[in-house]
Amino acid sequence: MTGSFSGTGGPAGSGAGHVSEDALFAYAAGSVDEILAWSVEAHVAACPDCRLALSVHVDQGRLARNRSVVLVRAATGEHHRARRLLAHIGVPDHLVALMAATPSLRRSWLLSVVGVLAVVSGESVLAQHLSNSPQALGGPSWGVLAPFILIGPLMVLAGVAAAFLPVFDPTHQLAAAAPFSGLGLLLARSLSALVAALVPVVAAAFVVPGPAWLPAALLLPCFAVCGVALAVVTVVGPMPAALLAGAVWVLPVAVVGVWHSVAAVVQWPAQVSWAVVLMVAVIVVASRRSRFELGWAS
Amino acid sequence: MGIMNAGVMGTGVEVAAVRVEGLSRRYGAVRALDDVSLDLPRGITGLLGPNGAGKTTLMTVLATINEPDAGRVSVFGLDPAQSAERVEIRRRLGYLPQELSFHRHFTVAGFLDYVAILKEIVDRRARAEEVARVLAAVGLQNMAGRRVRSLSGGMRQRLGLAQALLGGPELLVLDEPTAGLDPEQRLRFRELLSGLPGDPVVLLSTHQVDDISAICPYVVVLLGGRVRFAGTPADLAAAAADHVWTADERDPGAFLSWRGGDNRWRHLGNQLPPSAEVVPPTAEEGYLLLSHSLDKPETAVPRWRPARRRTR
Repeated sequence: MTGSFSGTGGPAGSGAGHVSEDALFAYAAGSVDEILAWSVEAHVAACPDCRLALSVHVDQGRLARNRSVVLVRAATGEHHRARRLLAHIGVPDHLVALMAATPSLRRSWLLSVVGVLAVVSGESVLAQHLSNSPQALGGPSWGVLAPFILIGPLMVLAGVAAAFLPVFDPTHQLAAAAPFSGLGLLLARSLSALVAALVPVVAAAFVVPGPAWLPAALLLPCFAVCGVALAVVTVVGPMPAALLAGAVWVLPVAVVGVWHSVAAVVQWPAQVSWAVVLMVAVIVVASRRSRFELGWAS
Repeated sequence: MGIMNAGVMGTGVEVAAVRVEGLSRRYGAVRALDDVSLDLPRGITGLLGPNGAGKTTLMTVLATINEPDAGRVSVFGLDPAQSAERVEIRRRLGYLPQELSFHRHFTVAGFLDYVAILKEIVDRRARAEEVARVLAAVGLQNMAGRRVRSLSGGMRQRLGLAQALLGGPELLVLDEPTAGLDPEQRLRFRELLSGLPGDPVVLLSTHQVDDISAICPYVVVLLGGRVRFAGTPADLAAAAADHVWTADERDPGAFLSWRGGDNRWRHLGNQLPPSAEVVPPTAEEGYLLLSHSLDKPETAVPRWRPARRRTR
């Protein structure tokens, strides 16, 4: 090691000795071993003469490129807290970056969802409080829950629809012309939008005056209507698909709500129907996955 | 040259890098493309035509996001109608749409990072290096951290070009990339395109005939969904030979007249007056003559196609 230093020949940074020109050149070229690199760095940090001498050997072009890369990495948001958290739990970095472009994961969208849910669930709580109606066998008054049950899954569907509707993706033409799997992109966005919207819906289900099983009972219908949207979009355009999937939820709720009680759409016999709908949707999406490839730009 | 060396077939004949045969595409009653056949060689090919001529439709078909009603397309010997081959074409493609919108909350680098992922550049370090490279190529290296919404129109256009350059594509489809650029930016754009490494196939749509004259060895004129001319810019100018003249007075027989800086009238028309002072035409005048003769087939110039060259 000492051969790399001139002057007193002592170790790096130990006295009047300086790093030799050869060692500085090799260090700047990145061709020194780790131990010598540490010695050079320790010395250069404390020695202005050697810092000056080192700068002569540094490839300015390479330095500028490295600086650009550092600036780019800082500007892509890869150090963002949420991104680091997702990376920490094992979500691949590139998928996180793709999700960042999903409109239904933006703060403004999520706040809108929370706002709508706050209104409908608050209305349910208020109506229950004002009516002070007796609850048969400890059960809820389903009439006051109707707005929440109608709107909750629609909020989830809206989030998923926003994830695949071209109107919400200003770069959909670029995505369609890119080799990245259309289905992969759609699923990454849809699943993240689904999860992001489900959290406030399920949380609100705990607040409204419903049975304890209501939060769990909403999951399957939410999955089913979103699955219908994804399945139908392989046959018709994105907007009709979203509307049709919305109708798959709204019509049963309206019909059952008028003739009987909205409870019927989330109780166990209906859960079987939603499970069947979801399975059929998954089969359709899997069998027609190539339809996601061409894009919807045409 | 006019002929590329990719996709060499067993016949020993070199085929064009990109070949379009009998392409048709309708939107309801509108026939956007009508039996279009073209060979695109390596190098820059300019695509001219008025609004509604079918330029964007042709470009979206070549960018594999629009399916034609009829006809065949071959890109480097690959067929976009086949799913696996279409993906392979997209791996070699850089596409700048006519109206590129952005996620406005993105930073410049964040947007390019996003597109780089779509182009399957998954490794984080490699992506950052590629983004830095294209930013430097379009002169936006100091804008990496700027929000896209704060960029000027010209900067956004350069950002659009930067995303098309990600991954070093072999086929660049650029739909009106010079729209909104100031003169200096247009010159820089010409410099950038003409210095692209790897001799890619570039299809450049524009209304700026001088851009095409400056950097395109080949030019295609699309009118009413049909190819009305394919050749060099010099050939396009030659199409208006004996159709351009100057005079001291305005000539009512010309279908287009304007007064030049020398205070003389420059005329474009089919019937030269006896005393006409014929002047050499420009490519723009050739294009204008073609546009004017859309409904007059007798004035159309012969179609050009690059000659096939046999290999040994």
